Amino acid sequence: MTTATTLKLNLGPQHPSTHGVLRLILELDGEKILSCEPDIGYLHRGMEKMAEGLTYIQYLPTVDRIDYLAGCFYSELLCRSVEKAMNVELSERVKTIRVILLELNRIASHLLWIGAFLMDLGAISPFFYAMREREMILRYFEKLTGQRMMYNYFVFGGVRSDIDYLEEIEEIIKILPSKIKDYEKIITDNPIFLRRTKGKGVLEQEVAFNNSITGVNLRASGINYDLRCSDYLYRDFDFSPVVLEGKDSWTRYKARILELKESLKIIGQGLEKLKSNEKFEQNLINPLTVKLPEGEYYNEIEAPRGLASIYIKSTGGDKPYRLKWRTGSYYSVNMLRHLLVGEYLNDAIAIAGSLDIILPEVDK
Amino acid sequence: MRALIEGLLTVLKHLFMRPVTLEYPEKKRFQSDAFRGKPRVNIGNSSNCCIGCGICKKVCPSNAITFEKDENGRVISYTFDLKKCIFCGNCMYYCPHSAIKLTEKFELASLEKEELKLQYRGGCDD
Repeated sequence: MTTATTLKLNLGPQHPSTHGVLRLILELDGEKILSCEPDIGYLHRGMEKMAEGLTYIQYLPTVDRIDYLAGCFYSELLCRSVEKAMNVELSERVKTIRVILLELNRIASHLLWIGAFLMDLGAISPFFYAMREREMILRYFEKLTGQRMMYNYFVFGGVRSDIDYLEEIEEIIKILPSKIKDYEKIITDNPIFLRRTKGKGVLEQEVAFNNSITGVNLRASGINYDLRCSDYLYRDFDFSPVVLEGKDSWTRYKARILELKESLKIIGQGLEKLKSNEKFEQNLINPLTVKLPEGEYYNEIEAPRGLASIYIKSTGGDKPYRLKWRTGSYYSVNMLRHLLVGEYLNDAIAIAGSLDIILPEVDK
Repeated sequence: MRALIEGLLTVLKHLFMRPVTLEYPEKKRFQSDAFRGKPRVNIGNSSNCCIGCGICKKVCPSNAITFEKDENGRVISYTFDLKKCIFCGNCMYYCPHSAIKLTEKFELASLEKEELKLQYRGGCDD
């Protein structure tokens, strides 16, 4: 409630630091935030309603657009639902290819986050460095799939074509560790960065848990919950989820940096597996005959911004009766209600940035 | 203080690296053969030409494709609506005769709305 001494301020929706179009209605007392009300929906494209009018194969290319920075994860979810519903097994090589591409996509997404987050704090150069390294990955994706962000590469029962240009992935995992070291040198212990992130936006375990926060934000609060550990695609990969105890913005940054290294490790193992398993076979489903048997289907995956899941209710036709996406950012945005209260206005953007919010994913 | 100096030195190191940006449009960036840009379809009688089976229409998410047939069932005109096309490549991937190709052309902006309707007729190969 606004009183004579408080001020209501609209942060956004057209604000360069809101990563899309997010409107935060802040109530201020001086520079102190008394309450925050996130207003979403400016990027709503009706992804769920659209599914009801399209066949599964028509819907598949559009799901990349739910999260344009990590499109592979959503294609994987839709493909996984159809494959499980129609009892189609993936071959080992296809599974490995999917893991490699998912992890490359995760790295690209985290790199962009690092750049954008530092840009929010006022540091310009790390943005260019991160974009430069991300470009290597996007260029690889363009060579393999035909586009830089809207891949349409995973299909029901396999992938579009066998993986190629492996030497480029090898180069990426050779170059990236030294670049990550450079980022750490510039960012991690920088006094200005520390002052703006250490102890800011503390996300307590209980609050995070009660608000369905997942992904890096949850793990940086000390809760070990990484769906990759139980995911069937990652079954043969040796990695450990990044769990840190700090709970603040700085820890969330550190967790993402460590996760980059973990992803590189998984990709390295994937490349080894590809060498030992050279036979490329697929169990493709004819796209024109995809019909899910009557019932409800739920699948989930660990996306860069937290748990992503899909729920399909099918009546046996070639189109879903109802389709619902669960995306990690949606819950992170809601978290701002709690995190911003009691902080200062100039920290608002820093805290919002540290949660890695992508608005198209929120609004769907 | 040490961290600050170390950071500045790293930034300085990057300052003397070769630039990665290009001066578009004078210089064009690398483009892969697999790139999905302006769509093209073969119309004619040879084996890699459209037979009008309509699979492309069925897999297109945005209803961007229309075609007409003559009385013998031969395709006489085929239209891509670039205002609707999302360049997903489904039509290319599922065409049984590989008649459709999404070429590497990507500069498709136009002042005329009609130019965004790509109509192909028999014998045309652009």
